[in-house]
Formats: sequence, C-alpha cells, structure tokens
Amino acid sequence: MDREALRAEVKELLATGLRLDVAPADIPTDSPIFGTDGNGRGLGLDSIDALELVVLVEERFRVAIPDEEAGRRAFGSVDALVDFILAERA
Amino acid sequence: MTFAGRRVLVTGGSRGIGRATALAFAREGAAVAFCWAHDEAAAAAALASLRATGATAFAARADVGDADAVARLFDAVRDALGGPVEILVNNAAATHDGLLMMTAEAAWDRVLDANLKGTYLCARAALRGMIAARGGRIVNLVSPAAFLGQAGAAPYAASKGGIVALTKSLAREVARWGITVNAVSPGLVDTQLVAGMAPEVRRGIEAQIPLGRVARPEEVAAAILFLASPAASYVTGTTLHVDGGLAML
Repeated sequence: MDREALRAEVKELLATGLRLDVAPADIPTDSPIFGTDGNGRGLGLDSIDALELVVLVEERFRVAIPDEEAGRRAFGSVDALVDFILAERA
Repeated sequence: MTFAGRRVLVTGGSRGIGRATALAFAREGAAVAFCWAHDEAAAAAALASLRATGATAFAARADVGDADAVARLFDAVRDALGGPVEILVNNAAATHDGLLMMTAEAAWDRVLDANLKGTYLCARAALRGMIAARGGRIVNLVSPAAFLGQAGAAPYAASKGGIVALTKSLAREVARWGITVNAVSPGLVDTQLVAGMAPEVRRGIEAQIPLGRVARPEEVAAAILFLASPAASYVTGTTLHVDGGLAML
C-alpha cells in the first residue's frame, strides 16, 4: 500500500472507528491526534480514547503498540501514525 | 442461563473460591477457563467437574506474575474458548506469614508479583478484547486485610490494598466502553486453610464474625457472578464485602 492510500485509510479509521463528528478528508495530517498543539488544533480526543485507537490500529494494520513509548511515536499525528505503521511492517 | 455463551477466565481456579466460581459460571452456561500454579491433581479434578456440567472448559498452568506466561495463557484461552475473554476473575493469590521487619525481600516480591502484578498483567491482557467488544467484566478478589490491615501478613494486605486502588483506577479508565471493574472482599472462607485449623481457633475467629461462621466458597462465587452479570451493569469501581459483617465498610 502506498503512503497516500495508507493515510486515507488511517483517516477513515479515525473518523469511523472513534465515531468522530468529522469527515475523514477534513482530518489534518499534521496536528496531534490526541490533545491539541500550541495553536489549539486537534481532534478533541483525550488520552483514554487512545486505548480504543490502539485496539483499532492493531487489528486493522497488524502492528503492535504495546506501551506508552510506542503510543507516543504512533499518535503524534496522522502522518506519524502512517510512518509508524510503515516502519513496523518493514 | 445467565452466562450462556460467555467466555470466562478465572485465575487460581483449581481450589477454593476460584474453583467454586469457575463451576458456578459453568453451571450458568459459560465457557470457562482457569489457570493454576501448584496443584496439578486439584486442577485436573476441577477441570473434570467443569466438563461434567457440559460446559466448554480449559485449564492451564500459569504464573500470573510473569508477563510472558500471561500472554501465553490468554492466547491459549482464546483458542480454547473460541474468542477473547469477556469476564476476567483475578483470584490467584499468594501469601506469606511473617512480621514485616523480618520479611525477606524475596517473600515480599513473590506475594506482590502473584497478587498485585498478576492482577495488572491479566487485566492488561484482557482489555484489548474487551475494548474491541465495547464491554466486559473484571472482578478482582481482595480481602478485609486491605481495609483493616493484618499483623503478620503485611505483603498480602499491601497487595490487596493495591488491588483495591487498581480496581478504582481501572474502572475510571474503561467505563466509557461499558467495561466494569469491581472487587470482592471475602472474609474467612471454608477452604483447606480453615479446615486445618484447631476447633478452638476456628471458634475464636467465628466469634468475631457477626454472622457467626465462615463463608462457603459458593457464597463468594455468588457475589462474583452478580458483579459479572447484567444485573450489575451500573456497578463499577466498588468492593462488595462478602465477609459475614466482619469489616462493615
């Protein structure tokens, strides 16, 4: 799967899996998935929501996010999650 | 049957409360797995009693304080029961008799690993499946010692007090998915330990219990099944004291 297709799939998973009130295409690629950045940008998700995303990502993409350290790398942004998945699959 | 088709794991299920709990779930239609640590003959007998009910049943030896062993246990249970654990009963426990000042570090670690770390490891292993299913039940066995202290059993009391705090914290973390986490605090229960007591010692203990007797394992199992049942859907983060009125908390 190329990077662009993977990014679209990640956004679709975020929107539908976490029941976000936002279209997948409207999810920014570079702002934090959880919490907000210095400009207040983010999806309004808290750290506990991350648990469900761990489960969704592990099931969909067959990668392991076993602890907080991996979670920090994976969930920095949509692009960070794409990088994480590609690295874990490599 | 209340638990028809549900998948249950009871840790420490070969004897006493764990065995009675596994059997009660099996009689209510659940597919039941348990793990055991020391007594192979008791485990075999317990497994046979579960299968005699017609239930799907599975047993495996596992040290719940060992992360790799817990991972292997949950993989095996998922394969044996046909899916992830939906109801987890953290019952496996170790104890050590001795005064704190004289307690060896290894004894402290052994009790804390089996009790507190084991509860953490098993809950962690169960949660991914429960979150994916958007529901689940975790019931942790604690003790009046967690609330009252117990001279001569500080590691045990500390581990159980830790499990009470773990129960409340985890209940807050996973409530949004309909997963409940509760504790059951049995007082003195009629198990092998009590059976081996001198009659006058047993009478002395029973005199301190308002209901005047020790519990039957089945009475503790009934409380665990309640917390795991749909009837307890709005109960989380609490401790149900099944102690004959000993603590009255």
